[in-house]
Amino acid sequence: MASAQQQQQMHMILPGDSLPISETDLKSHRLVLGPGLYTDPKTLTIHPVNAGKLYITQNNNSNRINIHIDYESHRYIPHVNDLVIGCIVGTFADSYKVSLNSFSNSVSLSYMAFPNASKKNRPTLKIGDLVYCKVATAVKELEATVECLESGFGLLEDGMIIDSTGLKFVRLLLFDDQFPLLRLLASRTKFEIAIGVNGKIWIKADEIKDTLACYRSILDCSMCQSVDQFANIIKKHFQDLNTVAAATAATEN
Amino acid sequence: MAKEIEISNSESKFLLEALRQNYRLDGRSFSQFRDVKIAFGDEYGDVTIEMGKTKVHCRISCQITQPYEDRPFEGLFLISTENSPMAGPQFENGNNTNEDEVLIARIIEKAVRRSGALDIEGLCIVAGSKCWAVRADVHFLNCDGGFIDASCIAVMAGLLHFRKPDITVHGEQVIMHPVDEREPVPLGILHVPICVTFSFFNPMDTEENIKGDTNAEITIIDATLKEELLRDGVLTVTLNKNREVVQVSKAGGLPMDALSLMECCRKAYAITEEITDKITYVLKKDEKRRNKFADLLTSENARETS
Amino acid sequence: MSFQAETGILTQVDGSSQIQSQKTKIFCSVTGPIEPKARQELPTQLALEIIVRPSLGVPNTREKLIEDKLRAVFTPLITRYLYPRQLCQITLQILSSGESEQEFTQREVANSINATLLALIDAGIALNSMCAAISLAISSDDKLIMDPNDEQLKAAKSVHVLALELVESSTVVKNVLLLDSYGDFNEKQLFDILEQGEISLLKLGKEIRSIVESKIINSNLIIQK
Repeated sequence: MASAQQQQQMHMILPGDSLPISETDLKSHRLVLGPGLYTDPKTLTIHPVNAGKLYITQNNNSNRINIHIDYESHRYIPHVNDLVIGCIVGTFADSYKVSLNSFSNSVSLSYMAFPNASKKNRPTLKIGDLVYCKVATAVKELEATVECLESGFGLLEDGMIIDSTGLKFVRLLLFDDQFPLLRLLASRTKFEIAIGVNGKIWIKADEIKDTLACYRSILDCSMCQSVDQFANIIKKHFQDLNTVAAATAATEN
Repeated sequence: MAKEIEISNSESKFLLEALRQNYRLDGRSFSQFRDVKIAFGDEYGDVTIEMGKTKVHCRISCQITQPYEDRPFEGLFLISTENSPMAGPQFENGNNTNEDEVLIARIIEKAVRRSGALDIEGLCIVAGSKCWAVRADVHFLNCDGGFIDASCIAVMAGLLHFRKPDITVHGEQVIMHPVDEREPVPLGILHVPICVTFSFFNPMDTEENIKGDTNAEITIIDATLKEELLRDGVLTVTLNKNREVVQVSKAGGLPMDALSLMECCRKAYAITEEITDKITYVLKKDEKRRNKFADLLTSENARETS
Repeated sequence: MSFQAETGILTQVDGSSQIQSQKTKIFCSVTGPIEPKARQELPTQLALEIIVRPSLGVPNTREKLIEDKLRAVFTPLITRYLYPRQLCQITLQILSSGESEQEFTQREVANSINATLLALIDAGIALNSMCAAISLAISSDDKLIMDPNDEQLKAAKSVHVLALELVESSTVVKNVLLLDSYGDFNEKQLFDILEQGEISLLKLGKEIRSIVESKIINSNLIIQK
């Protein structure tokens, strides 16, 4: 993605380190701070607060510097416009209580935040249902809100959820076009998938055994070291399940 | 009260449907126990058990105290199973009144202490005034189901591995010899109880299960956390290698076919045998590692075998 | 001081670490930011729940004291204002204390601090800076011993724990987070502890850094383009 106008640097950074940007650059550019950076409200100094890879993107045309740290974590903190998968855990008079991670503060999903919603036309979600939604507001002092206004959002029926892969893996899966996992899975079976940056992946194939093969493959791939192994992992799981399916069918006949 | 793990309808539906088609999420068969890893620490009676992702640590310790007045010939034995949020945020610190947590403590207590696995009369030093107090501290490090089975293995492996300091008794006076001075002595273990937990799932509605003749409940061994959260009934069988049933515990839940209880015990026995052998094997290996020169130092004479 | 550490070993919590130094072995888990109970909630900042569990017996005042020392170290270190009305749960399980529990807590406190730092980083909790801690002892012949073992602690005239806040790639000491001393010592010895301790802790800080860095490298999937 490196074009002539964009310079991108990347290196390892830990909390308390100094940022590798010169004072003059800081003063002369507009800064856009992403995750992992914090401005001390008293001294107005910017410092890294997470351990990971630092990305500094300098765009000379718009006189802007984007800084963010890519770090691994397991618990999601809501940010506006993020696509997330939530589980309905309660219903109120005019909104649902939605959980994005077990034990985290819940977020709210208004009955009005659905397509064609009106006072009469209420959504019919039950406790325990999964919804694909977008974070609408996220102020750290307040309860965040999510919405299902556009098409494609809303109830995720049946299928299976994978939620222990870590947030970094999920981001790769959702944003990196080069990431081969989904293409490899698609070569084996037909499936629907929804990926929430809160660390949840929902997947549904026509048959249970195919969903299960995808479930196991994604879990194993999230733990392996190299993309090269993906194909073998997926092959193994699909074959295993087909053998079990054949054995079950044989005993039943 | 600590919050529960949230589990969606999709997951519960999928898990049950998969079971109906003979699949488990982690790829095991229904009656397959997870591979048990046993590791000993540097000190005697320090053992870590891993079963899949479940991880339990047990530490055995002992000290000299006074026996109970009504039981002057017996030593003291205490098992402490306290949960902390380390195993998962669903556990609250210092509040072990949750039904499941109490059940874990009770079942371990019955399986190990009340079954007389540890010879507590052998802990008596001077009748009525001095005895050993043995303590087993079970620490749950990571919870992926099967806490009862794992902690039972941990306590038993710990007791078998533990050595108490040697003592000399002169009338009322007791001299404790430090470990580096005199070889410490093992505890008297009378049998090795092993717990095997069965989980039941009901593929049809409850009424069908009670009134119908089908009894189509699905039985799986050694459930993971997700399976534990969604199961309809549970049965824990404690056995030892002598084919003795030490304990059968089924606290409510899905009614099960009486005949299948026998079948469960039979399956559990095979697992018990396997785990007991494994404990014996790792104990031997550890003993060899500690005592590299035992063969050279032994006072036994090498005898000619003719 | 040499130690082995590993992070991300427990699956049910957000961050975890295991640390072993001589005979001291400690597990640490961190969960957060999560929803606190009403009595724990702080309106503008992150609340900390610190739990220390001993290897033998039930927790008592001794463990409470360790918890308080850890709280003193980590309260200024965590960027608390990023997580108002939230809770961070830190649990430490001591598997093996490596010292006589009745008399000393030094080894456990120092290693708990290092373990907690690693677990917090693993959990992705925002931190203002890094830190490092070490236990020290002054022997009967007035020699300063770094990272003393149980025998050295028992024979010592005074025992100490020092924790420093490190910034700028762990090359600069920003602050003293904890200096906990017990026994018979004079002013000169105390300054000596700070001076010598700083040298050791800067070295230790580098070690902790390399553990974190190698974890970051290893957690990256190798993607072929």
